[in-house]
Amino acid sequence: MTRASVVFVVDDDPSVRSSLKFLLSSVGLQVEGFESAETFLQRKPPDAPSCLVLDVRLRGLSGLDFQRELAARNIRIPIVFVTGHGDIPMSVRAMKAGAIEFLTKPYRDQDLLDAVRIALERDRARREQEKDLTDVRQRFESLTPREQEVISMAVLGMLNKQIADQLGTAENTVKVHRSRAMEKMNAQSFADLVRMIEKLKGSAEKAS
Amino acid sequence: MSHAEFAAAHSEASQHIEQRWRTAFESSAIGITMADFAGRFFAANSVFRNMLGYTESELYQLTFLDVTYEEDRKANQELVRELVEGKRQHFEIEKRYCRKDGALVWVRNNVALVPGIGGTAPFWFAVVEDITQRKEEESAHRYTEEKYRLVVETASDAVISLDETSTILLANPATTRVFGYTPEELIGKPLTMLMPEFLRKLHDTGFKRYVATGQRHINWQGTELTGLRKNGKEFPVEVSFGELIQDGHRVFTGFIRDISERKQAQRAIQNAQAELARVSRLTTMGELAASIAHEVNQPLTAVNNNSNACLRLLANQNLQPDVLRRALEEIVADGTRASAIIARIRAFIKKTPAEKNRLDVNEVVREVLAMMGHGFEENRIVVQSELAEALPLLLGDRVQLQQVLLNLTMNGVEAMTAIIDRPRLLWVQSRIDESGDVLIAVRDSGTGLGLEADRVFTPFFTTKANGMGMGLSISRSLIEAHGGRLWATPNFPHGTVFSFTLPVDAESPP
Repeated sequence: MTRASVVFVVDDDPSVRSSLKFLLSSVGLQVEGFESAETFLQRKPPDAPSCLVLDVRLRGLSGLDFQRELAARNIRIPIVFVTGHGDIPMSVRAMKAGAIEFLTKPYRDQDLLDAVRIALERDRARREQEKDLTDVRQRFESLTPREQEVISMAVLGMLNKQIADQLGTAENTVKVHRSRAMEKMNAQSFADLVRMIEKLKGSAEKAS
Repeated sequence: MSHAEFAAAHSEASQHIEQRWRTAFESSAIGITMADFAGRFFAANSVFRNMLGYTESELYQLTFLDVTYEEDRKANQELVRELVEGKRQHFEIEKRYCRKDGALVWVRNNVALVPGIGGTAPFWFAVVEDITQRKEEESAHRYTEEKYRLVVETASDAVISLDETSTILLANPATTRVFGYTPEELIGKPLTMLMPEFLRKLHDTGFKRYVATGQRHINWQGTELTGLRKNGKEFPVEVSFGELIQDGHRVFTGFIRDISERKQAQRAIQNAQAELARVSRLTTMGELAASIAHEVNQPLTAVNNNSNACLRLLANQNLQPDVLRRALEEIVADGTRASAIIARIRAFIKKTPAEKNRLDVNEVVREVLAMMGHGFEENRIVVQSELAEALPLLLGDRVQLQQVLLNLTMNGVEAMTAIIDRPRLLWVQSRIDESGDVLIAVRDSGTGLGLEADRVFTPFFTTKANGMGMGLSISRSLIEAHGGRLWATPNFPHGTVFSFTLPVDAESPP
């Protein structure tokens, strides 16, 4: 973890916004307040674990519309909703769209703090996972085309001899490619390598 | 003068006369024609030829029957026969000729049979006047009269004519439908028999003054008055009058329209509008309550946040005095804000005080059911009401009770809109309950409340997708403000019964 996590409070009521900042900072969290969804969207997306504490009834872009807007912009920041008067369909919509929690004012402060912690933890995990994936992809891309070919075939369970036959090369050459690739990928074992390649495939499938 | 000279002179004179006759014949302004005994034309002046559109030579090929319109031939032949038989000297006939171009010409003919002289055969002589234009005018006049007669006879308004003494001269059939009297019962009677007592003197003096001075006591176009039916019932009418002179006498004709239905419709519209205003007030109250909840929650949330933050910092012995001061200042500000909101609600409630009057709750039920009529129809709901007769009056705010009943019936309707396997039945009952209070029950065959029955009166609780959850809680507080109770029980086998009681006004006669 490179940077401290940060909580963004978006509420158009100044006293609610400032009291929320005070409450969250009293447990050592870094907090930034915004009076509207629009002002938040003007800010550069943070490069640190973060979450949103969002009032459903905002002037301008409403909380639920804001949630949709963030998804459309591929900003995957966890959201904790708070509202003065929420009905069941509203909360169902928010939760289905991936909200962490839907709290009705006045809420217990512990419930809010728990929801914020869960949101930050989830964002941290997502970021780590993404970072991990980025590392693996960078390492895979540093391999020569032939090394990529060899390990792609190896993880499918093909023997060195079979790979050599298919590529029209010597079995020893294949062994050299394989051990270099293992080294470059920073794989502790062949099983570790298989896991990395699976992860790459998985993200490629997700993206397509 | 010699005989020969005399003969020549005589011949010249007779030739001269003949010439003059011929000229007169030809230049006559009226059609003249002659036909042989068999009816074939042998002479016709230009007026006659032009009337029929034939040339001389064409005409002499034809008989008078050939050019007589088919329908008129028989009558014509009959007269010809009478003339031939010596029954008459000449005849006159109005008939139609068929022109060469096929058009019809109306004519009046004076026909004589000229006896034969000195061995010559007798022949027909006819003077022919073109009366097409007169016939057309007559027919147009008849058509107009017929049209007016038809309009008056079939009018749905009563049409009554009066003379200068306001005596009825004429009444159309619709008069029977409007007033109950047949035209025969009315003719010769004074118009005042069709008006209630209070209008009679007014009419008599007003009418006399008009006849004498020309000064009208009412507007003659579309004045709303009161009529009196044969059965003694009064009803609203709209009256328009016109006047014309007929054979030196003034005749007044009135068009009297029964506007009971229109009045009723107007009243219904006015009622509906008033109700709409009431319903929207109810909705507004619901929305207001929701926004109040939101507004009060804001400062309360801020107070809680600030206090909790202070407690947490205090627990860590990390609460700086200036931080505490700022937090306390905010708490005080939010507390003040919350009480300001409460004060605003109080002011709003004071603006709409209950207006309690003595009223018959059955009337309120009927008003609400009438108001909901369209909604019932639209949702194919069968409504049954069983209202106890002669309920004692109670002291209540009509509008508020309407709101409650409207809310309950609307809930009932909404609970049944999804029902397709059984009748959608809304049943409204009024009666005196065991403790002597008036009890109103609204029963539906809808989906029922199940386990939610206890919660429906809680503010913001709703089973409806677009509900605010305020209707029943407001209804209950309105009924409680009247000293009554409102509760829900399951209906058997389906649906829900909402019942409320209202105490009877102690001063009301039983």
